[in-house]
Amino acid sequence: MARDSLPYVWVESDSAKWVAHCHRGACNVKHASVTQGKVEFICHKTENGATSTQVFLKGTLFFPCEPDRGLVRVHELTPEKAGQLIWVRARIHTSRAKGKQCFLVLRQQQFNVQALVAVGERASKQMVKFAANINKESIVDVEAVVKKVEQTIESCSQQDVELHIERIFVVSQAEPRLPLQLEDCVRPEGEGDEVRMRARALGPRTTTSQAIFRLQSGVCQLFRDTLTNKGFVEIQTPKIISAASEGGANVFTVSYFKTSAYLAQSPQLYKQMCICADFDKVFCVGPVFRAEDSNTHRHLTEFVGLDIELAFNYHYHEVIESITDTMVQIFKGLRDKFQTEIQTVGKQYPSEPFKFLEPTLRLEYSEGVAMLREAGVEMGDEEDLSTPNEKLLGRLVKEKYDTDFYVLDKYPLAVRPFYTMPDPNDKKYSNSYDMFMRGEEILSGAQRIHDAQLLTERAMHHNIDLEKIKSYIDSFRYGAPPHGGGGIGLERVCMLYLGLHNVRQTSMFPRDPKRLTP
Amino acid sequence: MPMYQVKPVFGDDIKTDLPTCMYKLPNIHAQRSASGCSEHALQNGTEVDPAFRDLEVRQDKIMRRLYELKAAVDGLAKTVTTPDADLDQTVTSLSQSPTATSFRGTADLDSLLGKDLGALRDIVINANPARPPLTLLVLHAMLCQRYRVLSSVHVHSSVSGVPAQLLACLGPRHADSYVRQRFQLGFTLIWKDVSKLQMKFSIQNMCPIEGEANVARFLFRLVAPYPSDPALATLVDSWVDTAFFQLAEGSAKERSAVLRALNGALGRDPWLAGPELSLADIACYCCVLQTGPAASCPANVQRWLKACENLGHFGPANPLLQ
Repeated sequence: MARDSLPYVWVESDSAKWVAHCHRGACNVKHASVTQGKVEFICHKTENGATSTQVFLKGTLFFPCEPDRGLVRVHELTPEKAGQLIWVRARIHTSRAKGKQCFLVLRQQQFNVQALVAVGERASKQMVKFAANINKESIVDVEAVVKKVEQTIESCSQQDVELHIERIFVVSQAEPRLPLQLEDCVRPEGEGDEVRMRARALGPRTTTSQAIFRLQSGVCQLFRDTLTNKGFVEIQTPKIISAASEGGANVFTVSYFKTSAYLAQSPQLYKQMCICADFDKVFCVGPVFRAEDSNTHRHLTEFVGLDIELAFNYHYHEVIESITDTMVQIFKGLRDKFQTEIQTVGKQYPSEPFKFLEPTLRLEYSEGVAMLREAGVEMGDEEDLSTPNEKLLGRLVKEKYDTDFYVLDKYPLAVRPFYTMPDPNDKKYSNSYDMFMRGEEILSGAQRIHDAQLLTERAMHHNIDLEKIKSYIDSFRYGAPPHGGGGIGLERVCMLYLGLHNVRQTSMFPRDPKRLTP
Repeated sequence: MPMYQVKPVFGDDIKTDLPTCMYKLPNIHAQRSASGCSEHALQNGTEVDPAFRDLEVRQDKIMRRLYELKAAVDGLAKTVTTPDADLDQTVTSLSQSPTATSFRGTADLDSLLGKDLGALRDIVINANPARPPLTLLVLHAMLCQRYRVLSSVHVHSSVSGVPAQLLACLGPRHADSYVRQRFQLGFTLIWKDVSKLQMKFSIQNMCPIEGEANVARFLFRLVAPYPSDPALATLVDSWVDTAFFQLAEGSAKERSAVLRALNGALGRDPWLAGPELSLADIACYCCVLQTGPAASCPANVQRWLKACENLGHFGPANPLLQ
C-alpha cells in the first residue's frame, strides 16, 4: 500500500472519540470516526475512483483515558452473543493454516475458544498468512463476530461458539521456540512432569494448573474465613528460631551473625505461647521447613502450613470438633463454589469426587486396629500405623461409611511426641488424633500437656535434654489453660481433595531434596 | 444461759456386758442411709428427736407406695384397651428400675452377630432424607432399651441440607459418647442421596443389605427372635412385605386393598401375627401412618393404631409423621 495513503490517526482535542484523518495530500477531511470501540471503514477515493480500502493497523493502539472498546472474557462467549462483533484478548494456543483458512485456538487462563480467519470480504490472503505465522503463546487482540456452531467443539471449553476474525493484532510476541509444548503439559502421562517443573513460567499457564492453583487459593481463603467466623485470631510466628522444636534431626540450619539458627519445623511452640497469653483461639498460615530426605510423592522440604491451636473447656473433643468442622466447611465451600475448577482438573486427572460426612466420622485407634486385623493385617495394639496400613484402613472406612475424610482418635502414647497428653483413663493411650483424606494422613494433632511438671516427666521419659526445652517448659508455669490443636499442609490437602498423585503438582515452586529452583 | 457446770460424776467409759440370751433389735434411733431422711432430720443444724425422724421416714415410704399404686392403676386402665400388653411401657420406666430381662448382655450380641474383635460393632444405614425410614427409628428405640447403643447421625456430602428434625431423629447424644468402647452396638445413620435404603455392617463377611424391609428384619432379630413356628414367621414376613411394597409404594387402589385386608385381620386378632406385638405390626403401623392420617382408616385399624401407640414404642416416629 502506498505510504501516503495510510491514515494518520490521532485524538481530536476536547473529544473522547478517535477520529481518523487522511494524510493524503491536501485532503484533510475526516473520513471515519471511532464509536464504541469499533473502527469503521476508512473510505478514501483513490485517483481512479476506487472506493473503500481496508486498513490493518499493525502494532498496539493507544487509547485515550477510557478505552472505547470493551474486551470480552473468553468464558463469556456463549450462544447468546451470536452475531455480535466483540473484542477479545487472549493467547494463541494453537494455529493451523489450511489453504485459504487459518484455525486458531485462543486461550485465556482456563478457557479456550476456536477462532477462524478465512479469506473473504474481511480478510485478505496476506492476513491469513499473517495470522498463521504469529508465534504460539503470543498475546493477541482480536475483533471477531461470534458464530454459533452446530457441531460441538470437543477440544475447547467454549464448545458451542466459534469466532470469525475480522481484525487481529499482536500485543506481545513470544519467542518462536518454547522450552516445552503446552499441549504436552495437558496430557495425562507423567513424562511432562520434569520439563514442566523447570519451565515454571509456562507450566502454570495450562488450564489444569490454573484450576489447581485457583482451588488452592480458595482453600486458604475458606480456612481463614471459617476460622475468623469462629472467633479465631490470626497470628504470625517467627521462622528463624534458636532451638529445634521437634527433635534435632530434621531442621535446616542457617548462619545467624556469629552463631547458627534454625528454620522452624512447625509453629507449635509459638501457637502454644499465644494460648498461654490468653488468645484462646489462634491460627497461622506460613511456611514450614522440614529437612527430611524423603523423596516421596507427598513430601516437600518447604510447604505452607495451616495451623490451629485452641483452648477448650471440658474435653479435648471440643478441639477435634472445631478442627473437623473447619475442614468440612472448606470441603463444602470447594464443592459449592469451585465446581468449574474441579471439573477442569478432572479432565486431565480423572478421579472420584471427594466425599465426606457431617459431622465428621470419628473412629478410635483400637477400632482401626480391629478393622485391619479383620482384613488380615497382623499388628500389635500399640504399634504405629504404617503407610500401607493407613491406606488400607482408608479403603475399609470408605467401603463401610463412604467417606474420604475421617478422624482416628486415641493413638497409643508410645508413638506420639513427648508433649502429648496421656489418656487419663488408660495409660497406654493418649489424647491424640490423626485426620486422613483418601487414606493419607493430613493432620497430626493432640491435646498438649499444659502442666509444667507433667511435661518435665514426659520429656525425661523420652530422654530429651531438658536444657534445650527450658523456655518451652517455662511457658506453662504461670497458669496455662488446657489446649490442643493441629496443623495441615495446604499442598497436600489440595492434592488429596482433587485426587492427584504428586504433591509437586499442587505446589507452584516445589522444594524437595533434589530441587532448589526456580 | 450460763449455768454452773458440774463435773461428770459417772464416767462413760464403763463397758457393760450385754446378755447373749436376748435377741437384738436394730437401733431405731440410728441414722438411716436414705438421703431424704438425713436432710429432714438435721433441721436448723441440730439433732432432732429420733421419733420425729422415724415419722418422716414412714411418711416417705407411704407416699412412694401411693405413687406406685397410682401408676399401676393408670397402667391397668391402659391395658384394658391394649390387648396383651403385660404392663404399660410408658409408665414402667417411671416407677421401677429396669427389670433384669430388659438389658441383654454382650453374650447375646456375640451369638447373633459374631465375635467382636475389639471394634465397636457399628451398623451403618444410608437413607435418603426424602424418605425417612420410620420403622428403623422405632427399632432403634427398641434396641436402645436392650443394649448400650451409640447412635450418631451424619449428613453425606451428596446431600446439601437436611431439616433439623432429621438430624435429631435418633434422640439426644449419650453422655458417654466420647468413649466409643463403652458401647455394645453402634447405630450410624447417614442421610445420603441413595435410591434405595442400604445397610452395611461387616465389610469382610457381609454384603450390603438393601431395602427398608430387609434392614428392619435384621434389626428386629437383634431385639427379639422371630417366632419359631414357621407358619407364623411367614405370616410376619408377608405382612412386612405387604407394608413396604403395597402400602408405602403402591397405587391408591393397592393401598385401600391393604387397609381392607388389615381391617379384616385385626377384626379376628388383636395383633397382626400371633399373640404379641411383632415386626409385622411395627412395619404396618409406620406405613399406614405414612400414607394417610389415622382418622381415614377403617375402625379395627384405628383401634389397633391406638393400641400400638399405647405401647410407647412409636415415640421416635411421631415427630416425623407431622
